Amino acid sequence: MRIFFAVAIILLSLSSFSWATEPEILPHLDSTDPAALQEGIRLLDEEIKLAARPQPYVVIDLVDNAVLIKGRGVELHRLPVEQWSASHLTEATMTFRLQERPPVTRRKIDPAAGTDRSPISLDDMPTEFTLQFSPALTVIIQPSMKRQPWRWIAFKGREWWTRVKDWSLALATGSVPPSAPSVSLILASDHAQSLAWSVTDSMPFLIRRPTLP
Amino acid sequence: MNRIAIPLWTGLIGLLLLTLAQSSGFPVTSASTTQPASIDSAALHALQARYKSLARQLTHLMPAQPYILVDTARNHLYIKRRDQVMLDALASTGSGSILDRPGETRGQWIFDTPRGEFAVQTKLINPVWVKPDWAFIEEGQEIPKSQADRIEPGVLGEYALGFGKGYFIHGTLYTRLLGKNVTHGCIRLNDDDLKSVYRLARVGTPIMIF
Repeated sequence: MRIFFAVAIILLSLSSFSWATEPEILPHLDSTDPAALQEGIRLLDEEIKLAARPQPYVVIDLVDNAVLIKGRGVELHRLPVEQWSASHLTEATMTFRLQERPPVTRRKIDPAAGTDRSPISLDDMPTEFTLQFSPALTVIIQPSMKRQPWRWIAFKGREWWTRVKDWSLALATGSVPPSAPSVSLILASDHAQSLAWSVTDSMPFLIRRPTLP
Repeated sequence: MNRIAIPLWTGLIGLLLLTLAQSSGFPVTSASTTQPASIDSAALHALQARYKSLARQLTHLMPAQPYILVDTARNHLYIKRRDQVMLDALASTGSGSILDRPGETRGQWIFDTPRGEFAVQTKLINPVWVKPDWAFIEEGQEIPKSQADRIEPGVLGEYALGFGKGYFIHGTLYTRLLGKNVTHGCIRLNDDDLKSVYRLARVGTPIMIF
């Protein structure tokens, strides 16, 4: 009997240890919300495939408001998102591959003029750029609009125009036409530059979508 | 006409409210999120179990042993074990510059540090630099015919860790350039940090570079 209790205590302590050490994979996940769980399961299903390969990937986490550069399931770098908007995210359920990274103006070394000592740096990267993916997805990166009201107006104008266009089409046709997902992210300028630096051609991207309250 | 105008105005007012909500810092999307679902408790438990199982699978893919992480944008090299940072070292990584290959119309070298996942393949003590062609061309010199003329000792520090295709983590004489993108793709460290990396890393230690 004593042995039975001893074994039971050991097993219990081991199981509680394993629960305690289980890391928080998706922050802000409400485990009582079925929709949030389904989204978490969909995301993890995709991420496990990517994490099994030796290549970094990006998760745009619209719940945790962050862009995460990851590898093997590990968060390598986190870029906070100040604000975001999105359309047609219902179709954004798969892995998207970046078609082309933002262009970089590289410096050419001229041996006749001596070694070039002014290499590229983060400051050379754009703060405002658009990423196109396959399958179709558009991610628009814009720098922080604090103290830049004209940028805010332009951002809102574009958002309004997209919505009015969608609604007009829906009114005219009586149904919502299929359209490619699109995400606009506002990042601090240095974070936008950091993202432009870190992405590579054909890099995989995933999107974690929020659930409606 | 009213059948169209009323929903249109309602929609526009709705958009205004959405925009105001968003400007207060709360993200709002246009019909793009996942829908809440009502579900019985057995189905909810099944979802929770599936989620935990996948979370565990992902955890098992994470490196259990220490790994090297290189941030080429900020020029830092870290050694991490899970979330614990064992070493944070200032580094120099690839300059991203271009050098034309002589005699070739379209060929060129691009001095980037490669991105992705690699592994420590070799650990060397007192390495010597076997200067490649680009090192001579960059300095406007003739490419030597003899291999012996390519060897330059004492410029890579006391240790070097190779991670494939001629790329190494090594030391530098130019410590004032640490923190900048100045290399031809290798990762440079100061002597103390290089010693720590040599001590902590083994052949096979993963190197993640982004």
